[in-house]
Amino acid sequence: MDSTCLELIGRVPAATPQDELGHEHALILQAQRGDRAAFEELVRLYESNVLRLTLQFVRSPEEARDLYQEAFLKIYRSLHRFRLQARFSTWVYRIVVNVCLDHLRRTRHRREVQPGSDNPNEPEFFQALPEERPELNPERALRSREIAQRLEQALGRLSPRERLVFELRHYQGLKLRAIGEYCGTSEETAKNCLFRATQKLRQELKEIV
Amino acid sequence: MNCKAMEEKLVLDLYGELTAEERAAVEAHLKGCPQCAATAAELGRLRAALDARPRREPSPELLVHCRADLEEALDREASGWRGLIRSWLGMAPGQPALRAASALAVLVLGVSLGWTLRPQLAGPGAGSNGPMGAWTGADLSGMRISGISQVTPDPQTGAVRITLDAERRLTLQGSLDDPRIQQVLLYAVKNYDNAGIRHDTLELLRNRTDNPTVREALLYALRHDPNPGVRLGVVEAVRGMAWGPDVRRTLLEALERDDNPGVRVAAIDILTEHADEQVLPALEQLAREDRNPYVRLKCTNAVRQRAQEEF
Repeated sequence: MDSTCLELIGRVPAATPQDELGHEHALILQAQRGDRAAFEELVRLYESNVLRLTLQFVRSPEEARDLYQEAFLKIYRSLHRFRLQARFSTWVYRIVVNVCLDHLRRTRHRREVQPGSDNPNEPEFFQALPEERPELNPERALRSREIAQRLEQALGRLSPRERLVFELRHYQGLKLRAIGEYCGTSEETAKNCLFRATQKLRQELKEIV
Repeated sequence: MNCKAMEEKLVLDLYGELTAEERAAVEAHLKGCPQCAATAAELGRLRAALDARPRREPSPELLVHCRADLEEALDREASGWRGLIRSWLGMAPGQPALRAASALAVLVLGVSLGWTLRPQLAGPGAGSNGPMGAWTGADLSGMRISGISQVTPDPQTGAVRITLDAERRLTLQGSLDDPRIQQVLLYAVKNYDNAGIRHDTLELLRNRTDNPTVREALLYALRHDPNPGVRLGVVEAVRGMAWGPDVRRTLLEALERDDNPGVRVAAIDILTEHADEQVLPALEQLAREDRNPYVRLKCTNAVRQRAQEEF
């Protein structure tokens, strides 16, 4: 298993113990034979990272739930095609990345400026928002929001593939080689994509940088 | 290395993607090139600005909801036609059920000479010796099985009777003024479970708001669509609508009840343009009570703007 990929996606230790690899292979074989519990245990191994990745491309918890379900259903339906000689994590994330790419293509023309929902009855979507005290400095709070909106707009103007590669590199910390594998392309193509995305963002954000 | 080529190297250097040799070459170039050094500094500031974007971490509640959704979806997989085929053939999940369905169809054709495929269930006594149905094998290949409710072998004749639901994909093409096209689009707005399709449909309909049915469908979507992206698109379509009590009422409802601040802010902008005695009290109340500070600010500004206009 690629330690770099696991380290940077899942923030797990770089070295994967052999017994963990064996356990995962056992789960895969059981799931391929129809063991639903084994499949659900495989889901548990990857779900946090999958959800963390999909959250970068959605505007609501409902969309995140949709992408999560779409990704794992695709994994479930095509699990029979996976061969143990390959890296399961790479296979999983390739499916997830394609789901995210399809989502970006579908939603590309929508407006990007959408603050998160603050319905108290809805599951908390953002857990790491910076604390704001608008009653103390409303202008600063407004400025922060405007900058955040400009960032989202600029990211929204990237092509779906540029946005995907940039998010995977900048926010998920994946190496370009891994990104190329997940996107089914080469490292060189991923490099070119990252460069184009960065140039576009430089142009879009030069006033606030 | 020239400055043009250096631009790409600087980006890769920003993300630690250069080899040690490439890095040394970049540093050597930067020492003697103020322009590239300025570009490198700018990229560093860009990265800092992008790093300031709030990171989105999944909450435990969201994870619980996702797991529950997946559980239900896997249950549907097991009980749907795919699962039925698999259990009948003793197949494991994940094996292509469609291939199995095709195999089943071939088996039926090979065993029986008189099977029929009709749009309705055949009555008692209609068996394998009945006439061929309206659809031929060629038509079957264009159909998609959406459900199988019965598989019954007949030990006497050796035939197999299958009752299934099949659907055919259709492609419609026509003008947006065609009532049939509009009927399908309006169905999609209210009933289709794919937010992307609903959004695309609303984008098509936004130029037909003079049609009362389209107008009603757009306002319905603003009140009821579960996807905030769709609702935001509708608000923009509403901006181009002829103003009326129904539009005012729907926007006020959105202002008071929509849980997405973006939708509420967009509604404020439109209501501000048509601020009257009925709209102002709602804006004033939200300026005091809305849970979102940006929405409160927008309402406050809208009320002030209206007050200045009156003077």
